[in-house]
Amino acid sequence: MRAAVASLGSVRAALREDQVLEGEAARTWRAGSESGVPPSAGVPSSPGVVLFPESAAEVRNVVKAAIRSGVRLLPAGNGSWLGAGGWGREAHAVLSTARMDGVVHYEPADLTITAGAGLGMRALGEVTGRKGQWLPVDAPGCERGTLGAVVACGVPGPLQSHYGGVRDNVLGLEAVTGYGRILRIGGRVVKNVAGYDMVRLLTGSRGSLGVITRVSVRLFPRPAADVTLCYNGGATEVVGMARALCTAAFPVAAIEIAGGGGVAGGRRAAEAGEAGMTLAVRLLGGSGEVAEARGRSVAMMGREPDRELAGDDSAAFHEGRTRWEDGAELVARLAALPDRLGEVMTCARTVAGAVGGEVAADALRGLVRVRGSCAAGSEEAVAECLRRARAEMEDRGGTLALSSAPHEVAEGLGWVGAGGGGGLTRRIRELFDPHSVLASECP
Amino acid sequence: MTPIPGALTASLTAICGPDGVIVDPDRLLVYESDALTAYRHRPGAVVLPRTTGELRRSMAAISRAGLPIVPRGAGTGLSGGAVALGGAIVVGTARMNRILEIDAPNRRAVLQPGVVNAELSAAAAVHGLYYAPDPSSQTACTIGGNVAENSGGPHCLKYGVTSRYVTGLKIVQADGEVAELGGRGGEAPGYDLVGLFVGSEGCFGVAAEIEVALLPVPEGVRTLLAIFDRIEDAGTTVSSIVGAGMLPAAMEIIDGPTIRAIEDSVYAAGYPVDAEAALVIEFDGLEGGLDTEAGRAADLCRACGAREVRTARDEPERTALWKGRKKAFGAMGRIAPDLLVQDATVPRTTLPAILNGISEIARRYDLVVANVFHAGDGNLHPNILFNRRDAEELEKVERASKEIMQICVDSGGTITGEHGVGLDKKHHMPLIYGPAELDAMWGLRRVFDPAGMMNPGKVLPDGTEPARERRRSGEAPARAAGAPLPA
Repeated sequence: MRAAVASLGSVRAALREDQVLEGEAARTWRAGSESGVPPSAGVPSSPGVVLFPESAAEVRNVVKAAIRSGVRLLPAGNGSWLGAGGWGREAHAVLSTARMDGVVHYEPADLTITAGAGLGMRALGEVTGRKGQWLPVDAPGCERGTLGAVVACGVPGPLQSHYGGVRDNVLGLEAVTGYGRILRIGGRVVKNVAGYDMVRLLTGSRGSLGVITRVSVRLFPRPAADVTLCYNGGATEVVGMARALCTAAFPVAAIEIAGGGGVAGGRRAAEAGEAGMTLAVRLLGGSGEVAEARGRSVAMMGREPDRELAGDDSAAFHEGRTRWEDGAELVARLAALPDRLGEVMTCARTVAGAVGGEVAADALRGLVRVRGSCAAGSEEAVAECLRRARAEMEDRGGTLALSSAPHEVAEGLGWVGAGGGGGLTRRIRELFDPHSVLASECP
Repeated sequence: MTPIPGALTASLTAICGPDGVIVDPDRLLVYESDALTAYRHRPGAVVLPRTTGELRRSMAAISRAGLPIVPRGAGTGLSGGAVALGGAIVVGTARMNRILEIDAPNRRAVLQPGVVNAELSAAAAVHGLYYAPDPSSQTACTIGGNVAENSGGPHCLKYGVTSRYVTGLKIVQADGEVAELGGRGGEAPGYDLVGLFVGSEGCFGVAAEIEVALLPVPEGVRTLLAIFDRIEDAGTTVSSIVGAGMLPAAMEIIDGPTIRAIEDSVYAAGYPVDAEAALVIEFDGLEGGLDTEAGRAADLCRACGAREVRTARDEPERTALWKGRKKAFGAMGRIAPDLLVQDATVPRTTLPAILNGISEIARRYDLVVANVFHAGDGNLHPNILFNRRDAEELEKVERASKEIMQICVDSGGTITGEHGVGLDKKHHMPLIYGPAELDAMWGLRRVFDPAGMMNPGKVLPDGTEPARERRRSGEAPARAAGAPLPA
């Protein structure tokens, strides 16, 4: 480590002085002072240097200097999700694409936009919103992240079932590989099968194969109507309601369940018992279509909603939901096929009880997230509880993965369970990062 | 052609049974091309396994014999991807045609690769579900072939292409090794290896089991037909509809020469033969709101110069209208012996200019170019009609084809939207990708197929495979000009 720190000089020399943060300034940046949100756990060491290249060529120069001097780089956007999910390992410097934040090409009638990886998701929303369009991505934490980071993480949100996930809507990328070459792959057309789909490979690879510097995405017309129906009830009741909606013949944009503070107002799942969960059903589309879907949802639920949000209120509510994981010390994701939602929920609530936390479910995907904390000294007990929960999930053909966790918990347990494609994953990683210069690594 | 080693025939027969191996030269003729008949090569043999086990053992045996493997579905591909070069062995999936599971509560299905696209939707219909990607060949093409090509179809405008619907794969690599990618509805952690495999055109392996997502059948459909005297006006209408915030399920343009070919054939759909473009627009979803959407679209068509807008009044009318579109290729076969199908995709707003450019090129070379395409996606299918026995015409076709491809790429487009690169377009790959991208693609190909046994001679241009050392050195050679993406 010490030797590498000494050789950071040549990496630093690839950029101007004002493109490098060090010492206290680097630590403050990393702590998320720009966004006011503390970072997720996951990076074992705290790199003392943050680099801000302003073009793909500069990124390439930095990567090549890093290869020569044995420096390991951690690619990032705004640094708000560093190392989440165990993808980070020891790094000597953070490479942030935040300064590559320009819109390169936007033709509203094509419903596509090309922008630098560092363009903030909020800024993207403003630019496209002026033309009545949007990128329907509602991944956790996406609102304060950058476009490049959202693509690099590839984590879907509740709207995935309706609009496709991030991976379905990225049309093209520019990225600098771990061996220091610039790749321009895909394009800005909505259908493209020329060559192997490296766009999908890089989407969700969290910077472990290359640093994404520019992105082209497909946009959608902002729907005329946005309505959210909220129903309060016990876990069994809301899970049953959610499952009924999952198999409805009419289109539902998202079906979420939240327990405790997330929606119902402060009570934790462990105390909430059979009450205190809320089902939030989001309907998007033309006004006629949404009115009809609303009528049918209410008929299916057998009662009027406890609360109904429309237009900007509905949008703001769901934007708020993307902040649900912010600042959590521990976030676990339990998933199985959607018709096992009840069993996943039971398993997740047990975990929530152990970490003094709460749950949130995306019913269309069969995903239940748990957020909580892990008091000093309780790491072993929490890890044991998660291990049992993972075994239970795997028995049901499901998975349990960690997004955030203290190292003492994640280390023994592993961030993800047994996955497929092991040999292929390793060989792809070696192909794109043969010198191990990127600190992100597929867990 | 040298016959394949007798020992290999014997082991393949032992694995798949006598009816699962074809070596008779006359019977092999059927497999000498796919639906793009310009490329013909007779395979050394064809093997037709029924199970994953038979597939694994067949591929391992062929690899051990040192012969290349060419996977094949129904042979409906349009890029020469299933053509067996150099006496390769065709591994056909036609007998692996069982739907293993339709899981209605989770809206998913697991199937073997030889299941025909339309049959999956037919089987899912009893649950009120269907499989969304609908290539024009859907009554014949297989899902395995769709996975290899990342197939599209008219309704991909709203619903997306094959890649969006494949959530898990069990693949067999050249040496017979099995790898499971994704699955469990698509929540698997790690790299998107499913997304990487989809569209790999048989170069990475053969999909032995495929998990797909199904959608509920839309309860209402409105289909419009707008008739134009100028094709550019049809192109402008497409952009206006999208610009107005509407998202139809499909928007298809059929030009004058194609209309006349269709109307002159058994597929006649009642399009006016003096028109220069017909635009088919379809909306689907809940009944409430569909009429309003269709009405708005009809108004926009008229505002853009449509001389007539018809609405299909019932299902038979809708079917007839689509039949004309879906059978356009068949109809064109009647007016010229040969057909060169292109598949470029361009940004939607450049459509009017590109259509003009194509007409100008056709005029200059004195060729008939019939356009039928997925206009909503900007995916063009200019078809050049010709007679291959006329050497002079053949040369003109090749030059015109290259010019059309160039104007599409110059507008920010790509060389293939849904047919794949295969044998037909590999020499066009340098129009959009430089050495850096091609090297990375070669690297990925060798990750899945280190010995180079899978579908050699396809997708990546000949002579571009880098020496491994150069690829990993980090010293990039100068980038080739003309690789414009992203803008």
